[in-house]
Amino acid sequence: MRESEGMTEAFNPFTLSGKKIIVTGASSGIGRQCAIDCSKMGATVILLARNEERMRETFSHLYGSDHQIIVADLTVFDAIPSMVETIVSRVGKIDGLVNCAGISTTLPLKLMTTTKLDEFFRTNVYSAVELSKEVSKKKNMNEGGSIVFLSSVMGVVGESGKSLYGMTKGALLSAARSLACEFAKRRIRFNCVSPGAILTPINEHLPHMIDPEKRQQLEEKHLLGLGSPEDVAYACIYLLSGASKWVTGQNLIVDGGYTVR
Amino acid sequence: MDRKNFIEKFAEALEIEEMADLQEATEFRSLEEWDSLAYLNIIAMLDEEYDIQIENAAFKQLRTLGDIIGYIENNQ
Repeated sequence: MRESEGMTEAFNPFTLSGKKIIVTGASSGIGRQCAIDCSKMGATVILLARNEERMRETFSHLYGSDHQIIVADLTVFDAIPSMVETIVSRVGKIDGLVNCAGISTTLPLKLMTTTKLDEFFRTNVYSAVELSKEVSKKKNMNEGGSIVFLSSVMGVVGESGKSLYGMTKGALLSAARSLACEFAKRRIRFNCVSPGAILTPINEHLPHMIDPEKRQQLEEKHLLGLGSPEDVAYACIYLLSGASKWVTGQNLIVDGGYTVR
Repeated sequence: MDRKNFIEKFAEALEIEEMADLQEATEFRSLEEWDSLAYLNIIAMLDEEYDIQIENAAFKQLRTLGDIIGYIENNQ
């Protein structure tokens, strides 16, 4: 603990010390890393995910104390208000929310159905919007709060089979811009982080990662190679911290150069 | 109608925490929280809670919370 105290005393515009931050999708991948790194920056972290066992593993990696675990399915929208009320009654008003929970797919248009569209929009868009709606209420969020949506480079550029996933990610980019306008009065900021391909325990066994030829193609598209969850977590830390207090409605692309050419 | 209950609903719609600031004589357009979105929130609240659909022109005539209460009473 002494080491972390020393760290906050040194010049650190990115500190999250004293901030209460909700991280969704905290049981794996980017969400897990984001939760761990926010705790390292001094935040009290509230983990939110469906899988309690894997979330407990994330919890065991957190630094500091007072962190919370909430098991919840964010697509059960009606349960969100009481869940947020519980969180605020336990830790006080919230300073940050990172919406990492989401699902991905590669699906040709021929196989797209309205059922699929519903499923993806409910999980990737509606849940983040409903949770943000509740968290951003005056009684639940401090002035100067920051809300981050995990979008994707697929919300900005295209790739065969990525229309469904990309539509949901593009929706978050648009949402962040108008919500930034709506909440500026209360100094609450909305931003997106758009990762390129990140190597996580979940996707390392998927066809595009495990097939050597496909893997190489994917790596070549990223000037700096594939990303790691930390690369994304650090971008989230910036947007949650006071260092970005003049940044709102933006999309921070963290893609190892995927979109520059 | 229950006037106190209306003022509570008005406060809730605009997320005003200090209920003491709101009286029937309060000119709602001078509230810090009042803006074009607050207007939409109040229109929606009047529709949902009181089944009142109010035209923009009619709403413009209202100045105080008491005026809104009066409008509800006269149109229910």
